[in-house]
Amino acid sequence: MPPSSVSAVTPWWRNRRLIPGIVQAAVGLVVLVVVAFLVGNLVRNLTAAGLLLSWSWLGNPAGFDVSETLLPFDASLPYWRALLAGLVNTLRVVLLGLVGATLFGTAVGMASFSSNGLLKRLARIYVELIRNIPLLLQLVFWYFVVFLALPNGTSAIQLPGLVLAKSGLYLAWFSDLWHLQWQGPHLDGGVWHAPLRLTVEFGALLTGLVVYTAAFIAEVVRGGVASVPKGQWEAANSLGFNPLQTLQRIVLPQALRVIVPGLNSQYISLAKNSSLAVACGYADLYSVAETTLNQTGRAVEVVLVLLGSYLVIDLVISALMNGLNRMVQLKER
Amino acid sequence: MRTALPSSPLQRLRRELFSSPLDGLISIGLIGFLLAVAIALVKWALFQAQWAVLQANSTLFAVGRYPLEQQWRLWLLTTLLVGATGLSWGLLRGLPRLDRVDQLWPRNDRIAVAVVLALAVLAPLFLKLSLAIQLRWWLEAALLVATRWAAGRWALRIPPPARRLVPLIWPLLYFAGMVLISGGLGLIQVSPSEWGGLLLTLVESSFAILLCFPLGILLALGRRSELPLLRWSSVVYIEFIRGAPLITLLFLGQNILGFLLPGGLAPDRVWRAAWVLTFFAAAYVAEAVRAGLASLPKGQLEAARSLGLPLPQALIHVVLPQALRVALPATVGQFISLLQDTTLLSLIGLLDLLGTARTVMANPAFLGRNAEVYLVLALLFWCGCAALGLGSRALETRLNPTANPAR
Amino acid sequence: MTSTPASAGSAPGAVMIEARGVEKWYPNGFHALRGVDLSVHQGEVVVIMGPSGSGKSTFIRTFNALEDFQKGSIWVDGMELTDDVRNIDAIRQEVGMVFQQFNLFPHLTVLENLTLAPVLVRKRSKAVVERQALELLERVGIAEQAHKHPGQLSGGQQQRVAIARSLCMEPRIMLFDEPTSALDPEMVQEVLEVMQELAREGMTMVVVTHEVRFARQVASRVVLMADGQVVEMAAPDQFFTNPRHERSRQFLRQIA
Repeated sequence: MPPSSVSAVTPWWRNRRLIPGIVQAAVGLVVLVVVAFLVGNLVRNLTAAGLLLSWSWLGNPAGFDVSETLLPFDASLPYWRALLAGLVNTLRVVLLGLVGATLFGTAVGMASFSSNGLLKRLARIYVELIRNIPLLLQLVFWYFVVFLALPNGTSAIQLPGLVLAKSGLYLAWFSDLWHLQWQGPHLDGGVWHAPLRLTVEFGALLTGLVVYTAAFIAEVVRGGVASVPKGQWEAANSLGFNPLQTLQRIVLPQALRVIVPGLNSQYISLAKNSSLAVACGYADLYSVAETTLNQTGRAVEVVLVLLGSYLVIDLVISALMNGLNRMVQLKER
Repeated sequence: MRTALPSSPLQRLRRELFSSPLDGLISIGLIGFLLAVAIALVKWALFQAQWAVLQANSTLFAVGRYPLEQQWRLWLLTTLLVGATGLSWGLLRGLPRLDRVDQLWPRNDRIAVAVVLALAVLAPLFLKLSLAIQLRWWLEAALLVATRWAAGRWALRIPPPARRLVPLIWPLLYFAGMVLISGGLGLIQVSPSEWGGLLLTLVESSFAILLCFPLGILLALGRRSELPLLRWSSVVYIEFIRGAPLITLLFLGQNILGFLLPGGLAPDRVWRAAWVLTFFAAAYVAEAVRAGLASLPKGQLEAARSLGLPLPQALIHVVLPQALRVALPATVGQFISLLQDTTLLSLIGLLDLLGTARTVMANPAFLGRNAEVYLVLALLFWCGCAALGLGSRALETRLNPTANPAR
Repeated sequence: MTSTPASAGSAPGAVMIEARGVEKWYPNGFHALRGVDLSVHQGEVVVIMGPSGSGKSTFIRTFNALEDFQKGSIWVDGMELTDDVRNIDAIRQEVGMVFQQFNLFPHLTVLENLTLAPVLVRKRSKAVVERQALELLERVGIAEQAHKHPGQLSGGQQQRVAIARSLCMEPRIMLFDEPTSALDPEMVQEVLEVMQELAREGMTMVVVTHEVRFARQVASRVVLMADGQVVEMAAPDQFFTNPRHERSRQFLRQIA
């Protein structure tokens, strides 16, 4: 018979059915204590400073101006309008940035498959150069060294339908949408005018974000195309497809399954990186929030607004890209 | 199928650049563009650029407002670091892995030595440092090469127990360095607000890199744990951090940390930023490590457990060494990002390299000298990041168990 | 067949493994083991056969607690397998296991694979263990590969290293979970020879395998499992020439 001493009662701290529960209880307790400690301090300190969580200040007049807004805004409007204007500015640069970075990045990514050795190497150098220099440094470079050094007046850079001057980017557009009147930039008393004007701050931020993100997107695209087995190219060639058709009909549909998830994370970083706008003087959400904090001292509320907004932007991008991903993956069958 | 053509350089050039009329057109366009850029850049660097802004502020860019009479401590630290680097480098080459044949002086090492020597002579000359300080840089470079040579030469003479102690130099040096920089143990305190430039950038990034790594491993293990509570708290933390831009977290650190801790306990602004960087990077490192853990077959842990190894030992000796090797490139990628992210400190009013640059730019004497400063900073960061990337690839080969099989 | 569980100690013919009424449900509700009984005596080689999904791997993995079970009891070398982690660690030290996928540690050399556990778990001196490990490698015929990494060896060599790694812990029982199933055909024999040699030396072994020839030559008893139950248990001669149950005949036809 089995010796009874061996199967004596197992102490609870050595019982493998109880250990998971014990560990979890311990971790839970630690987390709880830390959170309680932090929140307790927060409430106590905020009460002492008279800053207990409240949202009513959002209705007070902001008293500061937000430059270049899509929504009409002036200093007499409330704080929430200022934050909203900042959010809209963020969305504007993010949307344009996504489009620009995708186009440019794809071009660079495809260039690394070019038959031209110089082009191929240039694409590689571009990626290695951009990825190893901090984005913030690139942004201040674009703003202070490139855009603020643009000439003004008659010596501005003039292309058909587009003028680049220190005072901004002037684009041709319809001056009257009803009568479809097309109007280009024109000089009026030494100052440029055009139906569409972008500030150099916006221009520098957009350029910086596009150039930076494109380097990462190029790598995603390159990796995606490289993931398609070589046999697919050979099979398409032997069926008589020309290289462009092969790329379009055979390779890209397969590469997209790898590319789309990679793009998702690059898009989210672009959205988050747009918060560096303050470095080139563009009034995005973060920059407005910083001013708001300096005026009201409402640190907790401002941080909550910031974190919440970026979280929502991330989630929206992820949701859209996941939808796209499902479409791409389904095409397989 | 066309077989590889016998290629002279000229033929290769022709094949790569002018294989078709379109290719030729592209090549000519690109060559023209590159030439124009190169000529403009050289012209600018030689005739238009005024490097006085860097020459006059070189100390500010190096160490910020670190008190002049205490700077010998930083020289001492540099010397120690240089010595330790040379020693480790030499031992690495002098003691190849048992299953490998390794050269004592491979080509890369010879190139590296040439670059270091050239830099040590040219950079101080360019910055117009005083002769005494130029001399110090020459000596540092000479020390590096000398220790590298000596350690490689006599590596096999060092008894094995002593060899095992060598890696311990680094953590010791780190603590010694912290004491040398900040003071204590009989040294005069130098407040963090007086650190700046490259010194601050290196202190912040090295602190965050060292701490975010173990933290990231714990988070990754937590996220893959079978215990729901552990898993979910790790997931919430990681996703929260990854969902927020770093600047908002730094902002949180500067403005809310004071409220979260009892009065007086909150660290000063420099250390607050360092902790935020650490907690930020940990979430990203955790994801890299998680991918490494996921790549491991389940049988590895089972085999270790079936041999009687308790879970912690199985993790330390079997699971983590393999997972971390797989995660190495992605992890170093995060370290590189972290080094770049230190520039964000300039946005919350700290004087890291970029912050120093911005204050220098604000000085009317150097108005409009943006291009010179920002280009040099870019070059500096590029070299630092590229070196980390190269180091990571070298480490990968060394740790790869099957690459370069013996003989 | 004895029905009394083993008492401590290891007199010849002592019971080394005693499983009684073992039942296991997977978390998804699948009833993997439906009351399995088995006793293994010292020096015996028990071969477990059966179609895939019959629960044979799951069953032997309960012996060293790689799988838990909900009902029944298991004694290994006189110790009852309980929920006490100390008890589980003790049993794992006495029971070696060889896996289908070898599961060698690829980041360690062959020699380090062998010495890791004895040094860490049994706290034996590294020099002594290394000497013993080299002897074991000699025995399985790969001493000259001691400083290579597993990735540089063939599948058959890797599996022999895996056997040596288990033996280095000086176990009293060896479990083999389909040790030759992942091998190229020409490498199966070299692994089986090592196992045969081990059996000749008197090691207690439980082997899950489809190798009929090995079962015929080496097994003391053959067990056929199907649907989480033991269908038939017999001496190899009887099992392969004249099985009693229809399920066994069906299985033998399938693998023939």
